[in-house]
Amino acid sequence: MTSLYLRWGGLLIVAVGLSVLTYNHYQQHLSTVSPHQMKEQAPRQEIRLFGMVRGGTLEGKVKAGDATFELMGNDTSVTVHYQGPPPDNLRELKTLILIGKWNPSDNIFEARDIGLITNYGFVIGAYLIGLIPLAIFLFAMSRRVGLLYEEIKESKLYQEE
Amino acid sequence: MTFFNVIRWIVWKDLVIELRSRETMSSMVFFALIVIFIFSFSFSMDQQAAREVIAGIIWVAFAFTGIIGLGKSFSTELQNDCLEALQMVPESKGAIYLGKVVANFLFIFVVEILLFPMFVIFFNLDVVEEISILLLIFFLATVGLSAVGTLFSALTVQIRAREVMLPILLLPMVIPVMIAAVEATKGALNGDPLTMYSQWLELLAIFDVIFTVVSFWLFEFVMDN
Amino acid sequence: MIIHRVIRKVQRFQGWFGSGAALCLIAGLYIGLVDSPPDYYQGEVVRIMYVHVPLAHTSLFAYIVLSVGSMWYLWKRDPIVDNMCHAVAALGAIFTTLALATGMIWGKPTWNTWWTWDARLTSYSVMLLILISYLMLRTFIDDHEKEARYAAVLAILGLVDLPIIHFSVEWWRTLHQPQSFSMRGVSMSSEILIPLMCMSIGMSLLFSYMLMVRTQLLYLDRLLHAKKGRLLSQFHMSQSDS
Repeated sequence: MTSLYLRWGGLLIVAVGLSVLTYNHYQQHLSTVSPHQMKEQAPRQEIRLFGMVRGGTLEGKVKAGDATFELMGNDTSVTVHYQGPPPDNLRELKTLILIGKWNPSDNIFEARDIGLITNYGFVIGAYLIGLIPLAIFLFAMSRRVGLLYEEIKESKLYQEE
Repeated sequence: MTFFNVIRWIVWKDLVIELRSRETMSSMVFFALIVIFIFSFSFSMDQQAAREVIAGIIWVAFAFTGIIGLGKSFSTELQNDCLEALQMVPESKGAIYLGKVVANFLFIFVVEILLFPMFVIFFNLDVVEEISILLLIFFLATVGLSAVGTLFSALTVQIRAREVMLPILLLPMVIPVMIAAVEATKGALNGDPLTMYSQWLELLAIFDVIFTVVSFWLFEFVMDN
Repeated sequence: MIIHRVIRKVQRFQGWFGSGAALCLIAGLYIGLVDSPPDYYQGEVVRIMYVHVPLAHTSLFAYIVLSVGSMWYLWKRDPIVDNMCHAVAALGAIFTTLALATGMIWGKPTWNTWWTWDARLTSYSVMLLILISYLMLRTFIDDHEKEARYAAVLAILGLVDLPIIHFSVEWWRTLHQPQSFSMRGVSMSSEILIPLMCMSIGMSLLFSYMLMVRTQLLYLDRLLHAKKGRLLSQFHMSQSDS
């Protein structure tokens, strides 16, 4: 029985390690900030900005991938200069994620790409719902097999007849 | 006794029991009438809505009625150890199966024929031109229902909680029959040309053949004690 | 008998199956959750596929094992095969439930609905119904031999029925609503294929391992029961002798 608990303890540690890695990955590549947060924190590195294109502000050659517009979020709006690959979902009143850098000197967000909107909650939910019941079930079964072996051994049932 | 004689005797025996007691058929007809009433209360229907759902109502009523008949088919054999006597028949068990299928088919089919005029009256259906095709649909679907149902009736009669287990086992298995029968009946009631729903009749026929053969083979294992 | 020899051979490698499953699944989870890029069309949601598809494959595999085992049982009447069938039905029910649950979670962001009467979804849920009724049937019979026989009959009938159910639902659906969503046409790039293969192999190994553990569990349970019963009857006999 001890070896069973040891094995499962090891698996648990690996599972925790994996979830930490996943969480870090999410934080680095997938988490977004709103314009309000960005103005407060004024980050230096590249960030993912989440908001809605304000109606009537989209200007420039949108099809060619060069545009200026205002991005709304949490009652704060910020001017965005987009220069990158030709976007297929850049429209007015569209909610999107912009990847780029904040330029505090002239209050302009320099976007270089448009990211996909993530629904990471669904992914996490599916993995948890898919794997945790399996693990619990397997653990319960292995434990019961161990207990049954012990019971058979102790009750001297397993003897020559 | 030859194979066909066994079939004939079993059908004859079941028919005689039924003609003398009239237990199974009367309870089936009465139950189906109640189902029709419940349905007409739960959907307040005009002509148009009736067309959409009536095929489903007909087949739900027929399926539940059929389950009552199928359950009775083998539970009557429990009295006076008739089941043991059946198992001792010196012929392949398949003969008993086929005899029971024919008897069950006759009960359910006759009940359906009796009930269908009620649907026509209560739900104002217009069926004069389609009556032959409707009879064909009833025939094919009832064969499928009794082919699977007879096997499960023999299987559940020897276990605990048999009244619960028969519908639980039977209904998932006859989903194709239900879908095909409802779609074909809907087509016939709408007066569609036959080519539009003949695929469902084919599906019913295929189901009947496959499941009669498979259940015929599996029945040996159910009755073998 | 041959099946006993096979089982004993395979049982010796039980530990290998378990650790292989753990390694494959950990590698698959790491690649799937952290290392692989999001899909161009589906975005991050594609990661659900890495857990959903292996679960679905495995539950189908479970049903095939169940029906082959049932046929073998009706042929040879080998009680250990019946134990395996009983074990695989419970596992199949769990894997099918989880496959359906993860499929629904994938469907919500992709199709914007939790449930649709799609042919595949419907036949999977009917398979789940048949598996649950199989397990229920087994609890309602006291005699072990009869329980095994009846359950085998039900499993074989279900095997014949499942393809017919699938086709009838597919016809029924194409009649009522046009095929609006389809997984066909989404080509599999190697970025998707590698974690998918990893998780698929891992899940199959995990399933085999769980099957071994559960067969063992049911076998030991029955053994304990039988031995206890025998001891009890011996005790009564010695009482009546003296």
